[in-house]
Amino acid sequence: MLLWRGKREGRGPVFLEVEPCDGEKLPRIKVLMAGNRGRGRASFTFNIEAIGFARGEKLPDVVLKPPPLYPDTDYKPVPLKAGEAEEYMLALKQEFRATMRRTPYFMDTEEEKQEIERYSKRYLKSYKDDDLEWVPDWRRLPREMMPRKKHTKGPKCQRAKSTAKVSTLISTVDVLKKIEDLEKKGDEEKSDEETDEKEGGKGKRKDDDGEDDEAADDQEEYDEEEQEEENDYINSYFEDGDDFGAESDDNMDEATY
Amino acid sequence: MTQAEIKLCSLLLQEHFGEIVDKIGTHLIRTGGQPLRVIVHDTGTSLDQVKKALCVLIQHNLVTYQIHKRGIVEYEAHCSRILRILRYPRYIYTAKTLYSDTGELIVEELLLNGKMTMSAVVKKVADRLTETMEDGKTMDYSEVSSTFGRLADTHFVQRCPFVPDPTDSADAQPPPPAPTLSINEKDMYLVPKLNLIGKGKRRRSSDDDAAGEPKPKRPKQTAESKEPIPDDGIYWQANLDRFHQHFRDQSIVSAVANRMDQTSSEIVRTMLRMSEITTSSCAPFTQPLSSNEIFRSLPVGYNISKQVLDQYLTLLADDPLEFVGKSGDSGGGMYVINLHKALASLAMATLESIVQERFGSRCARIFRLVLRKKHLEQKQVEDFAMIPAKEAKDMLYKLLSENLISLQEIPKTPDHAPSRTFYLYTVNSLSAARMLLRRCYKSIANLIERRQFETKENKRLLEKSQRVEAILASMQATGAEEAQLQEIEEMITAPERQQLESLKRNVNKLDASEIQVDETIFVLESYAESTMKRA
Repeated sequence: MLLWRGKREGRGPVFLEVEPCDGEKLPRIKVLMAGNRGRGRASFTFNIEAIGFARGEKLPDVVLKPPPLYPDTDYKPVPLKAGEAEEYMLALKQEFRATMRRTPYFMDTEEEKQEIERYSKRYLKSYKDDDLEWVPDWRRLPREMMPRKKHTKGPKCQRAKSTAKVSTLISTVDVLKKIEDLEKKGDEEKSDEETDEKEGGKGKRKDDDGEDDEAADDQEEYDEEEQEEENDYINSYFEDGDDFGAESDDNMDEATY
Repeated sequence: MTQAEIKLCSLLLQEHFGEIVDKIGTHLIRTGGQPLRVIVHDTGTSLDQVKKALCVLIQHNLVTYQIHKRGIVEYEAHCSRILRILRYPRYIYTAKTLYSDTGELIVEELLLNGKMTMSAVVKKVADRLTETMEDGKTMDYSEVSSTFGRLADTHFVQRCPFVPDPTDSADAQPPPPAPTLSINEKDMYLVPKLNLIGKGKRRRSSDDDAAGEPKPKRPKQTAESKEPIPDDGIYWQANLDRFHQHFRDQSIVSAVANRMDQTSSEIVRTMLRMSEITTSSCAPFTQPLSSNEIFRSLPVGYNISKQVLDQYLTLLADDPLEFVGKSGDSGGGMYVINLHKALASLAMATLESIVQERFGSRCARIFRLVLRKKHLEQKQVEDFAMIPAKEAKDMLYKLLSENLISLQEIPKTPDHAPSRTFYLYTVNSLSAARMLLRRCYKSIANLIERRQFETKENKRLLEKSQRVEAILASMQATGAEEAQLQEIEEMITAPERQQLESLKRNVNKLDASEIQVDETIFVLESYAESTMKRA
């Protein structure tokens, strides 16, 4: 491999070459001279020491791959400062972060409303201070920031809301009833799948409700009709909503006889 | 805005304000000033959420708006202000050291809420202080107000720009799409004359009380807020520049103390205190102070004679560090503090220490050599550093590959022949400082990511421990036996406890590292700013 090509004073060109890498012996430097070989000593137009390595010296290994992603460090880092001030600042930092999460400024992505209260969430306190709803000072903000009421769908909007409320109540009760019905049939695994699908379907429908009022109107009316048709008899039979979960087990035992 | 800065801003916003604000804030940093509709369209979030997020960001001084022609309002995010969130603990701690707990809580409330009126701050702080005090004692509003006044006098808190009062002529025109906020220099620290009488209230724990009790409280609260607030519209915010000035002064004083002795550091501290209000934060020198003035303003405990003071000042002025300079002879000698030079020395010391810790003391010697001598040839480096040629070459190339040292070509002939060109090694301080600054941002981003990863890994365990604590608390409140409490505590097994311990240790270590990397960021940023303002 050719490293450098220079000119000797008054003579022909000089080539500085590196032997190809064998893998066994390390490459060395050879000075090849085209033209007058061997006659007299070679002298260069520049100070050979300026290159940084002398003739016949060992060069470092040829690197054949990119540097590693996590190279080994020869020098380990110095330990962290540890004192009263540092500990206090650490405590301040963690408290600040925790407090920020509780303020009304923290906007989390809203989770889907769960129909059945899960035990795992039961004891996790919800830390949001609900009574500190923040209202910005509208005089300091551009006018377009103020929330505007939608004027287009006035009475329709109200109807959709009320039907949404009713339908969620009915659909919650409906889901629980469906679970109980399917368990009665004795098909446990299948019922889980079905209820999951139904829950997912109901959940999806509820999301649609929030976004598009008009489409939801039609859907909700259809749902209501369907539910009323199917469960006409059962609706009047089971009227208690609160004690429903508690009683269902007992009823199941009786019903299998 | 470098990629590292944007990533760090995004992580900070996500941790403190939530996902939605993070998405919108990051989008604004990337794209610059944007009107509302474009933001809604580009980020794909609903209009209501974008509005709410922008309100939150404007409240915390992270985003400002401007009216452009044709009445379009553009919103712009300030990346550097978002990065200040890292420094909040340091600000709060400084307020604590200067103004004790009251000052600490005032600054904390202001940072938590962005901007607040003075009466709101005083009320909240008094309530918080009352809760920590013993039963029966309460915190008076007047005490909190006086601390607030002191904070305003020393410029640690300042007024926000406000909407000028509408005059008659403005009524004729239609109101503008957005108010233009402005503030006078002299109004910035004027404390309104409020007559705040009252004491802090203790918040009654209403966890297990009858449901009837909280309800009458709530209508009372809303009724209180309907009363006209005397200082309505006058909002205060924390003055971060003043805190930065304080940190800078602190580091200069400690540098002098390390180099010389306690007395000289006290003298420098006095000089800096005297020039606090008179010098702007970005001036390269303080105002010249005469030796007589300094003698008069020395703290009371120091009994050094005028002669000794003069000797110290001469010593400081002759020091090669050049922190203090002599600018004249009137009044017993006029002395200035060389702020820019001091910041540069601090930044260079940081750089040298980084090179030493990363590459070893020999590399550090070479680096310091090239820094002092400005330009050196390879042969000269080997000679001056007294390091064998091969090793010196190796180290120089290592530093070169890390971009801490650069090559300067000086051709002897117009054809730039390599054999006839000088190659000089040099350190470009500003670019090296900037490169390390970028690296600091990246490392903090990595630290935050790792901390979030660790927390997510152990989320189930954390939730379990939270639940156990909640159960314990509720049981203790209803009065349970020792045996039952023991049983509940054993719900967390010993190896789980160990896991929780090690998680807590790791998270603490990562948090502490973030705070310390932020100190380096402060030094390097101040140096970069000071150099830019000078040039």
